[in-house]
Amino acid sequence: MDDCRFYCTFGLCFAIHLTLKNRNMKKIALIGLVAILFASCGQQTKKQELKSESAQVEAIALTVDQVLDQAPELADREVVVKGTVMHVCQQGGQRCFLMGSNEDITIRIEAGEKIGAFSQELMGSELEIAGVLKEVKTEADAHNPGAEHGEMEHEDDAETQEAHKILAENQEAAERVFFIEGLTVKEL
Amino acid sequence: MKIRKTLRILHRDLGYFIVGMTIVYALSGIILNHRHDFNPDYRIYTEELNVQTGSPQDYTRAKIENVLETLPYDLVYKKHYVNDEGLVKVFIESGELVIDPQKGAGVVRYLQRRPVIFEMNKLHKATLGTTWKWVSDIMAFILLFVAISGIFLLKGKRGFIRWGWWWMIAGFIVPLVFALLFI
Repeated sequence: MDDCRFYCTFGLCFAIHLTLKNRNMKKIALIGLVAILFASCGQQTKKQELKSESAQVEAIALTVDQVLDQAPELADREVVVKGTVMHVCQQGGQRCFLMGSNEDITIRIEAGEKIGAFSQELMGSELEIAGVLKEVKTEADAHNPGAEHGEMEHEDDAETQEAHKILAENQEAAERVFFIEGLTVKEL
Repeated sequence: MKIRKTLRILHRDLGYFIVGMTIVYALSGIILNHRHDFNPDYRIYTEELNVQTGSPQDYTRAKIENVLETLPYDLVYKKHYVNDEGLVKVFIESGELVIDPQKGAGVVRYLQRRPVIFEMNKLHKATLGTTWKWVSDIMAFILLFVAISGIFLLKGKRGFIRWGWWWMIAGFIVPLVFALLFI
């Protein structure tokens, strides 16, 4: 694959050299090509990282119930949790909630930069997520479903309101609230 | 002048290069501005339906699939559970169905991606992981370069010094007024 990329790049450079007569154009095209090549190399490395991370995901996966039971001991450590997606935040999918053995047992997963966003289609899917377990200590860590990103400004439908109500009740019922900063995600 | 010529070439070619991304940013920007008026990523269909009354346990996968078949969408069953309130919550591909067996009523909520717009919004919000974040940063810098280099392209009566700066200040004033009034 690397050989293939090398020959393609070489071929493209040669093609640019032959086709473009203007020196500036040539420079820009070659710089652009090199930039794309670097970006694709970066992407490749990331893919490899993701592969190794997903191998790790396969190794130790806890249920949501297990993670919450052991949360004080697991705090600030990387965990792998699996569960059913009960709710995905509608404004951008920045977070989702995984359900444990029933809908009163949930954990919030922040997509973060690595995952990007969760799509609404994931609702009801079984996910395995690797991430760092964190405790909600400040207001900034907390998430009141529906209160961020101006979500309160528009009316949620009844199902979303119901989901937000259940999640808020779960958070209020817990003595200590934990969430996961997601790193990798795998649909089971 | 040589610098102006180089600037003109760069402005022209990078300007051509950035057209696609500018369209993506501008169109998705308009749509995302209205995110409180409608869901920018999905069309949401909600429909109420009548179902057989009975116990929540009567709702097996087969029975739920029969209910889904009566609806005018292509709904695929994923899984279901019964919650504390005795409601049957069914996850379907791109949506959910909630059945109240005691009342014999149900509500289905089905999401359909807005084609092209969904993808443009994803690109705009840079929620595709780290690589795209850097690529979109580069695109944004190119856009910035095209905007700033444009200032210095023309000389004379309609150049920046004699004409363009008025327009530029006007362009700064519009957001500034809103920032001062509302922030």
